[in-house]
Amino acid sequence: MAIRVQLDRILAERRMSLTELADRVGVTVANLSILKTGKARAVRFSTLDALCRELDCQPGDLLAHEPGPGDAFDDSED
Amino acid sequence: MRLPKPPSIGIRAPRLTGTSLRTPNLRTLGPGSVSSLLKIALDVAYVLLALITGVLLLLWVASIFIPLDNLNVTVTDGDNGRQIPLTRPLLLFGVGAMTAYFGGFLMILRGLRKIFRTLTLGDPFQPDNVRRLRQIGLILAIVTGGVWLAQGLVAARLAPGVMEPQGVSDLLTPVFSILVVFVLAEVFREGARLRRESELTI
Repeated sequence: MAIRVQLDRILAERRMSLTELADRVGVTVANLSILKTGKARAVRFSTLDALCRELDCQPGDLLAHEPGPGDAFDDSED
Repeated sequence: MRLPKPPSIGIRAPRLTGTSLRTPNLRTLGPGSVSSLLKIALDVAYVLLALITGVLLLLWVASIFIPLDNLNVTVTDGDNGRQIPLTRPLLLFGVGAMTAYFGGFLMILRGLRKIFRTLTLGDPFQPDNVRRLRQIGLILAIVTGGVWLAQGLVAARLAPGVMEPQGVSDLLTPVFSILVVFVLAEVFREGARLRRESELTI
């Protein structure tokens, strides 16, 4: 997946921990970790809305598109 | 321009995780429901088949040792019958075939009960259920083929003219049942993929 979630950088800038963000947003720490490590397959707009609200940022600050050499073929599962 | 962040008023957003979306507390077994009747039927059938298979297995082992002097067996299709001497290979084949037949259905029921348990927990679309359905299809195919072959063998060797072998048309219903099971396995595979996607949707 070529979409990167730049939570680490923004959390450091806001001096907020993952646990605190999870508590504010209403998502478990485990799920936020999945998001942070790039394992998530999709994000709900409601979650994105909550993240931007609590981190005081825009979706573009959180998300980046970084295509790699194999990314065109990595959507297939099974 | 960014609006100032409103102060938190202590309200926590609902946790919309994949786990909570699977509603683990959903019970499909209301009293008198089809599901509860199905569960009872599965459990009763399983216990009965287990008993029958156990008895047949013991009988098969005993068949190796019991004396067979001057014993005959009647092979009949209801109208015509014929007496043939009971030999040990014949006895072992007959009892063994019946044990395998009931044992096959016992294994199918075991798989069905495990699938049903995941349904009662509210999470039926698991990869394990895909594997179980494919196993059920395979066992059905083996049992169907085995019965067809055994009946053909009996008709050809043991009781020619008395018992007719099963025709290909007799296989139509079992083959369609096997196809249905394999198609269901593919449906469950897609369900498992969607479940995984839902788990990884934050």
